[in-house]
Amino acid sequence: MSAERLLAESAADLITWQERLLSPLIDHRLQLLCSVVVGALLGLLGGFVVLRRMSLIGDAIAHAVLPGVVIAFLLVSTGVTGLFVGALAAGVVTAVAISLVTRFSRAKEDAAIGIVFTAMFAVGVILISRLPAGTHFDLKCFLFGDPLAITETDWHSILLIAPVVVGTILLLFHPLKLLSFDPVLARTMGFNTSLLHYVLMILLSATIVAALRSVGVIMAVAMLVTPAATAYQLTNRLWLLLTVSTALGGLSAAVGMFLAFQFNNPPGPMMVLVATVVFLLAMALAPERGFLAVALRRRRIRRHILEEDVLKMLARFEEAPQRAGASLAAALTPADPRAIGRAVEDLARDGLVTRGDPEPTLTSVGRARAQEMLRAHRLWETYLAQEGAAERHLHDEAERLEHAHELAEELDRTLGRPAADPQGKTIPRPEG
Amino acid sequence: MAAEVSVRRPPRLSAAPALEVAGLTVSYRQQPVLRHVDVAVPEGQLVAVIGPNGAGKSTLLKAVLGLLPIDAGEIRVLGRPIAQARTHVAYVPQTDSADWDFPITVREVVLMGRYRALGYFGRPRAADHARVSAALETVGMTAYADRHIRQLSGGQQQRVFLARALAQEARVLLLDEPFAGVDARTEAAIFELMDRFSQAGQTLIVVNHNLQILDRFDAVLMLNRVVIAYGPPAEVVSADNLRRLYGGRMSFVDEAERALREGPADVR
Repeated sequence: MSAERLLAESAADLITWQERLLSPLIDHRLQLLCSVVVGALLGLLGGFVVLRRMSLIGDAIAHAVLPGVVIAFLLVSTGVTGLFVGALAAGVVTAVAISLVTRFSRAKEDAAIGIVFTAMFAVGVILISRLPAGTHFDLKCFLFGDPLAITETDWHSILLIAPVVVGTILLLFHPLKLLSFDPVLARTMGFNTSLLHYVLMILLSATIVAALRSVGVIMAVAMLVTPAATAYQLTNRLWLLLTVSTALGGLSAAVGMFLAFQFNNPPGPMMVLVATVVFLLAMALAPERGFLAVALRRRRIRRHILEEDVLKMLARFEEAPQRAGASLAAALTPADPRAIGRAVEDLARDGLVTRGDPEPTLTSVGRARAQEMLRAHRLWETYLAQEGAAERHLHDEAERLEHAHELAEELDRTLGRPAADPQGKTIPRPEG
Repeated sequence: MAAEVSVRRPPRLSAAPALEVAGLTVSYRQQPVLRHVDVAVPEGQLVAVIGPNGAGKSTLLKAVLGLLPIDAGEIRVLGRPIAQARTHVAYVPQTDSADWDFPITVREVVLMGRYRALGYFGRPRAADHARVSAALETVGMTAYADRHIRQLSGGQQQRVFLARALAQEARVLLLDEPFAGVDARTEAAIFELMDRFSQAGQTLIVVNHNLQILDRFDAVLMLNRVVIAYGPPAEVVSADNLRRLYGGRMSFVDEAERALREGPADVR
């Protein structure tokens, strides 16, 4: 076989491979585009929804638009404008009804939400059963979406909604930030917080209607909450949170759709699963708050504390010659002897101890550090005794607190530089 | 910030008091919380509001701020209804009412003090940022300006709220328990800041639980649903008044109110 033919064949292979992967997406680029934009919009609004702890209200509005959509369907049949007006009306009615129930009954907000949205949803389902014969309203599509059924009309409505949502958020960014962080302050400054709240609700209702076809209401709630919660895990700035959340919403939609074609799964749920996987990754790996980072930090602190305990114990051995030859492992029970071994190795590497037989000895640098520890320990014991802590708890408590030795100097000053601790042991002073 | 005035309580040309409350009655769920409250605070005073839990201290602040519907009476701030005086009033809420996990820096929180001036569509300008920096400097939080708010201690949180009130450039400050959850040293530092604001001519009305520092205020309002006493600490802080304040003789009136709401006992 000639090299040229081999090359040509593999090139052909590559093309078929590409086609197999990408051609469904190219064939459905309109549907892909719609889903990505809708995912991004939900991500953007989701930032405010999550920060204002309104995920449940998002859920409620998503379900409660049903009667609005059905009534619009009854009155004007298929017109997209009619659907939007119906859904907006239902969304606003839901938001208002939730506030009214909260205000005029003993039910708290979560119960009010439960009451209102199930009632709205029930009305919607009954209306569907009353639709005249011959009309077809697909409840399953309403709930779970059907991106492949997206048409040019849907794209046009998204083109209408996206700039309105993004523009409103940009225009009202500061008041919305204030509303989310401190609604009471916003009111004392004369901002109409109800108006701002309903503006958000209207944007949300409109976006959910636009999202109906691509992901359906149930999945829309996931796309509203999950990318925003992911972004919240990753950043400490609001604008960055909104940017990341928007990007993640769009990205989850794209990747979800791609995977749906690959594995022949329904697209809506795939988008949600992608968003969920990203969230789980962020939960585990986020730089500060991720549980991996937290676990590593804890481990680092634990090792550091053990090293300090070794230093201090060696200093105690030096202080009391009768204890010479005592075993570190025995003195530091219940610490794991292997962990002690590792700590000694680290300390030797840092030049704080020299390995010896049977136990290591302190270098002069190590001795100075150990004295710092002893000083912190005895200062804490003195302080705790003064605060009235029972004597039998003094040692254990000081054993824990001494590792915060950056506080020792301030503690010493506050205590009036005592010479000895409650047991009469000398409190070492830093040299010079 | 305005230059500090060396004379304490400089005389004001405007005759209207900073705050004037007349016959104020406020209810919560049909239960009167405040009854016929009359208080007048001249501008530039530092006033403590004390009373037991549930005495209506926070309710008074919220009513003044126009956050609650009032049943009867009148509230005027600098001689005007609150709706026309909002620019001049700043509220410093309890620190535990805020969401300290919110993705926001110290500087951004203080910048919110400028939001009223910006309105719905405004963008902060250089002058706003300059005021924020000055406010942070005044409360000694410049070094923390770009930190996330979760990294602050209780005292630092309170300073940030004070800086925000400063950035509002208000003439009347309403503070809800600024000393809650801080140690004695922090409390002293915060009090010193409030004293400085007051000497610069601002009026401060402070809900407070610490009876030890009452003599450092210009006036003390003893509130337990009604005004028990109001005046300079030397005149009103007495064992007798404190007993009346914390002993509570309101239960008869409460009983009567309940009877009127639900019907007398023989009807029930």
